[in-house]
Amino acid sequence: MLEVPYVTSYLTEHFADDSFQTLEGYERRGGYAGLRQALEQEPEAVAALVKEAGLQGRGGAGFLAGMKWGFMPKETDQPKYLVCNADESEPGSFKDRILMERGPHQMLEGILIAAWATGADKTFVYVRGEYAFAAERMERAIAEAYERGLLGEKVLGKSFRHDVVLMRGAGAYICGEETGLLESLEGKKGQPRKKPPFPAQYGAFGMPTTVNNVETFSHVPHIVNNGADWFRGFGTEKSPGTTLFGVSGQVQRPGLYELPLGTPLDEIVYEHAGGPLEGRQVKGVIPGGMSMPILPASMLDVPMANEFLRERKTMLGTGGIMVMDDTTCMVRASCVISYFFRDESCGQCTQCREGTGWTHKIIERIERGAGREQDLGILEDIAGKMEGQTICAFADAAAWPIQGMLRHFREDFVEHVRLGKCPFTQSFEL
Amino acid sequence: MVISDATRTAIEQEIAKYPLARGALLPALHHVHAEHGHVSRDCAAELAEIFEIRPIDVLEVVSFYNMFYDTPQPRHHAYVCTNLPCSLRGARGLLRQLEAHLGIRAGEATPDGRIALGHEECLGACAYAPMMRVDDQYHEDLDVEKAKSVLDALD
Amino acid sequence: MPRITVDGKIIEVPAGRTILQALDDTGLLMNGVDVPHYCWHPKLSIDGSCRLCQVEVEGMPKLQIACNIPVQDGMAVRTDTERVRQAREGVMELLLVNHPLDCPICDQAGECKLQDYAFEYGVDSSRSQEPRRALEKRKDLGPTILLDQERCILCRRCVRFCDEVPATGEIRVMGRGDRSVIDIQDGYPLENDYSMNVADICPAGALTTKDFRFKIRVWFLEDVPGVCTGCSNGCNLHLGVANNKVQRYVPRRNDSVNETWICDAGRMSYQRIGAGDRLSEAQVRSGGSQGTGRLETVGIVAALEQAAQKLRRVVDSRGADSVVALASPHAGNEDLFTLRRFCDALGVGASGVAVVRGDSDALLVKAEKAANAEGARRLGFGDPSDVLDRIRGGQAAAAVVLGHDLLDPSFLGATDVLAGLDTLIVLDTHQSSLDRVADVLIPVRHPAEKNATLTNSAGRVQRVQPAVEPAWEAWTDGEVIAKLGALLDLDGFDGSWEPREVSKALSQELPAFAGVHLGGVGDQGLSLQGAAEGSDPETGGASA
Repeated sequence: MLEVPYVTSYLTEHFADDSFQTLEGYERRGGYAGLRQALEQEPEAVAALVKEAGLQGRGGAGFLAGMKWGFMPKETDQPKYLVCNADESEPGSFKDRILMERGPHQMLEGILIAAWATGADKTFVYVRGEYAFAAERMERAIAEAYERGLLGEKVLGKSFRHDVVLMRGAGAYICGEETGLLESLEGKKGQPRKKPPFPAQYGAFGMPTTVNNVETFSHVPHIVNNGADWFRGFGTEKSPGTTLFGVSGQVQRPGLYELPLGTPLDEIVYEHAGGPLEGRQVKGVIPGGMSMPILPASMLDVPMANEFLRERKTMLGTGGIMVMDDTTCMVRASCVISYFFRDESCGQCTQCREGTGWTHKIIERIERGAGREQDLGILEDIAGKMEGQTICAFADAAAWPIQGMLRHFREDFVEHVRLGKCPFTQSFEL
Repeated sequence: MVISDATRTAIEQEIAKYPLARGALLPALHHVHAEHGHVSRDCAAELAEIFEIRPIDVLEVVSFYNMFYDTPQPRHHAYVCTNLPCSLRGARGLLRQLEAHLGIRAGEATPDGRIALGHEECLGACAYAPMMRVDDQYHEDLDVEKAKSVLDALD
Repeated sequence: MPRITVDGKIIEVPAGRTILQALDDTGLLMNGVDVPHYCWHPKLSIDGSCRLCQVEVEGMPKLQIACNIPVQDGMAVRTDTERVRQAREGVMELLLVNHPLDCPICDQAGECKLQDYAFEYGVDSSRSQEPRRALEKRKDLGPTILLDQERCILCRRCVRFCDEVPATGEIRVMGRGDRSVIDIQDGYPLENDYSMNVADICPAGALTTKDFRFKIRVWFLEDVPGVCTGCSNGCNLHLGVANNKVQRYVPRRNDSVNETWICDAGRMSYQRIGAGDRLSEAQVRSGGSQGTGRLETVGIVAALEQAAQKLRRVVDSRGADSVVALASPHAGNEDLFTLRRFCDALGVGASGVAVVRGDSDALLVKAEKAANAEGARRLGFGDPSDVLDRIRGGQAAAAVVLGHDLLDPSFLGATDVLAGLDTLIVLDTHQSSLDRVADVLIPVRHPAEKNATLTNSAGRVQRVQPAVEPAWEAWTDGEVIAKLGALLDLDGFDGSWEPREVSKALSQELPAFAGVHLGGVGDQGLSLQGAAEGSDPETGGASA
């Protein structure tokens, strides 16, 4: 399905035009001008520009892209790789899919500029296995690029070679974790690696590697074309640029909204997405993909940028905004959430493997009406034991939603225990 | 030989793209699934030979990923996303209706080997819920009738 | 060498090592500095998934796993803080959530790291009332090992072992998340020469040996340090003794010999100690010689008196050089030193040692299937061809033979030729067809039944000590020869024999053994002078 964002900006303004997906159509709209410009500059200068622009990674962690590029060794005999993380599997997120389906060349241009800036020889685009259509669109764009000399031995005639290989995943959320992706890329189970070593030293196939998200790459051509100041004109001081917010759940207009970072959450939910469904009130909103702690309706007056969201004990994540209204049982929602994390844990670390299983079983038992008072304390305790102590952040991502729910919707849980059943007769079916 | 010559050629082409041959294992598994729908013991042994690893190494990888199977599969997989945004918009009720329509439970296959019905985690179509993935295709903005007709149209 | 502080104490550690490796290198790990761990093993690759070894490192906000953090000069590590305590408690509680309450029926009880660390670092009682996963509890993995998937804590030591040591890779973790299980593939059993090591390294009772299953509770066992006698590698081990019986062997760590491993055949060779075919009676042939007559049971002293009589007769009639001697490559250095003196004092015509050879591998298994072949050679017992030729050719009238290796097809192959001897005196641990032709049979002690040193193929001298006492009258080879020598009035033989004194005398006489004697080699052994550490004349390269 080819969907167009409701609100567009520089990333998605041409998405309604199908021809934008072709090389010809993309160039007609100014595509690959940024690459041509970048190739005239020193790689270090391009990297410095992106760093100065303050582009944060859009894959959920928010790490400065320019800084990450700087970790790649400058002088080395080893091949250097880029990886485009197109494994988008965070529940509530669907922006990368649309960026690939409707703007494949934009992403490809960003990859090529990044390759020039870091000296990378090859890029692996790792697309989640279920995104068959997006993968097909990317393959087509890659083929066009090769045909036109934008990829291969001499990119645009320069003595700069770059290749792009697209690989499909096969259905495992954890392959969206940087090093889990690298393991999967190498043909193994996608179990994240312990760090050190870090990907810039030991990455794909043991070589220096930088992993960036689809959207992160997509911003790059615009930064090169228009400069750091221009980019900083969008968003906040600490979080410049736009992002694609994906709104879903119990709202009038679920969809994609390309807005500057820092746009208030309530503005997105009530104005852009039209607010709750007829006759209902918003109860809670998960602001950044399902790993991020939920906010109650009373706390939605927060700019959507990490520096503000952190104060409310949540984060931007992937900007997947999920709206729940007052018919929704938060215990039931927690069942869905904890089931997901139990299913997707790779199983390596004790706390994650056992913690995701145990918390899911407890929450499910509470929903069934067999909860005990002490269960809530146990849930908080387990979540605390999962945080910050594992090979990767998946255990944190599994713990945070539970902490958020108990922080803001404890009454829902207490009622289940008190009544011995779920009191939300109108809630979505489980 | 279980793996056809055509698929073997495709696998060799994939291997050429990666610095280490094993990088092509997931692409090879996709090719094998396209041909056979699953990885049998014999298939695992043949892949092991191609990649110079052990059969259990192949099966270990198969066991980790949702889209790979080690038992014969029906012709079609129909998975309704039941993650949070989709559940908020009635995905699970839809799944129940489809169960009734096909006469099977989620996780089972129709006796004629036509369709396996199941549920999946977030498929990246949250604003277009409820939705389902049928093989390589997404069917979004579903209602019960639409979903039923998609299934009925499968051979 | 970098200097770090651990719990306030400054220690110097080797560079380029992780915290756990450094603690292990300096002998402090779980021996002054407690860092409990499951997935880490000193001889396997780093895993990092059990999370039990988390410690505080000054300057790093999160807890770090000690198994993966490289040591840096000036690093300050704390293992004793409240944060660390809570982290360990968390890991233990979570590990036990799905762990079955099998202790009453589990072989591992008493030597189970899950029990130990739960007791030391875990919570008092379980808060979980959720049903536990139900998996295969008695899965046959192959000829030697049983798997209980429910008990597994997914530390992946077994997976890494099979990949890295025998490089056979039979075990894998299948599935994902809390549905992960270790398993083999049907038709590809766990079948390699080192398979039973996985039971040692499994911290819980998931992998156990069929041999030891339900045999005896480990707390009844006394662990006696010793050495395997299956081949010339001399893998270090503990003999597990109860009721005056060796119930099992488990490997003992020696980084210069066998690291932490032992081959399956060596591990199972404990069965030879209490085997039904032990030679348990001193016997003398009467009513005929040259292979006829019957064997009569007597006491050892009486048997030796008869042996001395027969030998004196031969020496008087044919001369001392018609006597030949074969050392046993299974006897101790002390025993063989006494035999050497005996041969020299008597003036035997020839002596040697027959060593049976078999398969070897690139890991631990050596071709020479005896623990002290090198020791025998160092004591002047070389190629046995001269001895065997004299026996075949009739120049030998009497033979003093220790062990029955000469019966191997690579040497005599059968007893026929021996029947031609006037007098055959045999000292052995086990019965053999030598009883058809021997004139005197003396039971001697197995290395598990005496104090002795053995020299492995790399020239390392290791000691054994008595773990069990035979239920019959048995002497050491040395004691027997000493008595025989005294009965023959040989110079320097007064009938007494004390292993430590003999060992000292040996180390004073042979330069290579200087300082290397029973009282001085300790539990890890010592290399002979001039034997390069890690060099092995048999393989020409590094030993294990």
